[in-house]
Amino acid sequence: MDQNPATSTASGSKRTVYALGATTLLFFGLAVLFLGDLWGHSPARQQIPLVDKSFLEQTPWRRTYSDLVRAKEDLSDFDCYGCHEKKKPPVLRFDANNILIVPEEHKDIVMGHGSHNRNNLCYNCHNEANLETFQVRDGREIKFADSTQLCGSCHGPNYRDWEAGAHGRINGYWNTALGQARKLDCANCHNPHSPRIPTRVPAPGPHALRVPVAAPHESATTH
Amino acid sequence: MPLPDNPPPPAPPPGGSLDRRSFLRSTAAFAGLSALAASLSPLRELSDYTSTEQFMQKYYKEMTPDDMKKVLQRITNEVEHQYGIRPHVRDLKPMDGVEFVYALNLTRCIGCRKCVHACVAENNQSRSPEIQYIRVLKMPHGSMDVEKGNHTYDDKEVPDKGFFYMPIQCQQCKNPPCVKVCPVNATWQEKDGITVIDYDWCIGCRYCEAACPYWARRFNFTKPSIPADRINPEMSYLGNRPRKQGVMEKCHFCIQRTRAGRYPACLEVCPVGARKFGNILDPNSEVSYILREKRVFIQLKEEMGTSPRFFYYFDK
Repeated sequence: MDQNPATSTASGSKRTVYALGATTLLFFGLAVLFLGDLWGHSPARQQIPLVDKSFLEQTPWRRTYSDLVRAKEDLSDFDCYGCHEKKKPPVLRFDANNILIVPEEHKDIVMGHGSHNRNNLCYNCHNEANLETFQVRDGREIKFADSTQLCGSCHGPNYRDWEAGAHGRINGYWNTALGQARKLDCANCHNPHSPRIPTRVPAPGPHALRVPVAAPHESATTH
Repeated sequence: MPLPDNPPPPAPPPGGSLDRRSFLRSTAAFAGLSALAASLSPLRELSDYTSTEQFMQKYYKEMTPDDMKKVLQRITNEVEHQYGIRPHVRDLKPMDGVEFVYALNLTRCIGCRKCVHACVAENNQSRSPEIQYIRVLKMPHGSMDVEKGNHTYDDKEVPDKGFFYMPIQCQQCKNPPCVKVCPVNATWQEKDGITVIDYDWCIGCRYCEAACPYWARRFNFTKPSIPADRINPEMSYLGNRPRKQGVMEKCHFCIQRTRAGRYPACLEVCPVGARKFGNILDPNSEVSYILREKRVFIQLKEEMGTSPRFFYYFDK
């Protein structure tokens, strides 16, 4: 570089000039890059679709008799003697395997209460003497609106938990001094004829940051 | 420019034309200044979310009711400016004689993830990128080892046979490691047991995120984006008011609801009633009953000594 080193100071000055020139160019280049944004933007984030509002729904999936009464809606489904005759309990029919045949008129009913087909008789719960009520094994008659008592007559532990608030849904206020709590009935969640809660489609899982969906254990560490 | 004072400068060229040195000097100065200006330009975007009032704001615990009123007014205006919705921002204080406890029934949970999204909707979390306080782990039967859990399961239908589901969110520890590591006291435990974050005080160092054994804290890496029609206008200072980029957030038991006496959003949306919440100091509350009567899997990662206020229990 120093082809003509006259004095050491002269060569130092030359080097300074070079260094400054280089720095200047560097700064200039950087300025152009910054202002022109020549590095380009970082890759756009993949827009995550909004979740379907049905997943935010709080209303229970079933409506009980009491709900219909409260909402002053059509109760004709509970008007048994619109079709049946009074004092003439419908006769239950069974097939060769001793399984109850659900009549055409009630074919929306799926019998699935209890395993091994043990709870196979309508009159285990319905009252044959008055179809518009239920009956408990000890002979008590129970109104449609009090169906939880009917459920509780067999499902003791769950009924006890439900009463204490440990089983089932309660919405509203935990502090009842500030507002009302609404405890849902058994039939708000369980279909009495087949009480097991059906499977359902889950809401979408978490999207990993910037990474397309990867194997579960890998994406688990990126969020 | 610290140019060394070197041997005789060359004679100034006649006619005042530019010599090499002063040309280089002025060019360097110009380029340097433009580079500085360009590199500072991201600051222009900062004005979106850091106002002078916020910068000068006092520490939460030192604020007088008057100060708080002003702060709430500022937040109201900011939210209205940004989303076009006039929110109802409050600063709810803990109630006397109340300590919140959460209980979750592992026998009942079906892994539908409704709680995750109800929480996002209630607490104004960023939708894209996504911030979720609750993770639902799908775990094989016969193990409580969270390492075996998978939270990105993508089943057509839940619950899946042979698995149970374990939602995990902030455990509101009695002995919270996240609070201990915060260098600026931007997070602390309130009297009713909720560990809160002051989003205006947080410096975004993420120590708390590292300290939390439950992976419960979330960081806003980018500016949160929430569609205006999904904003929940019922807000609280320590709760669900919109956050900004660079701060931590986490589950706060829906402070804007629970301190007003209501149940948290994740509980209300649960279709199977697996979630239970209440005041442990009230012997008649559901959670008191559960801790007294049910088979409670005491606390998650009990050996960490964090003593969570979040309990998992079983029916059978």
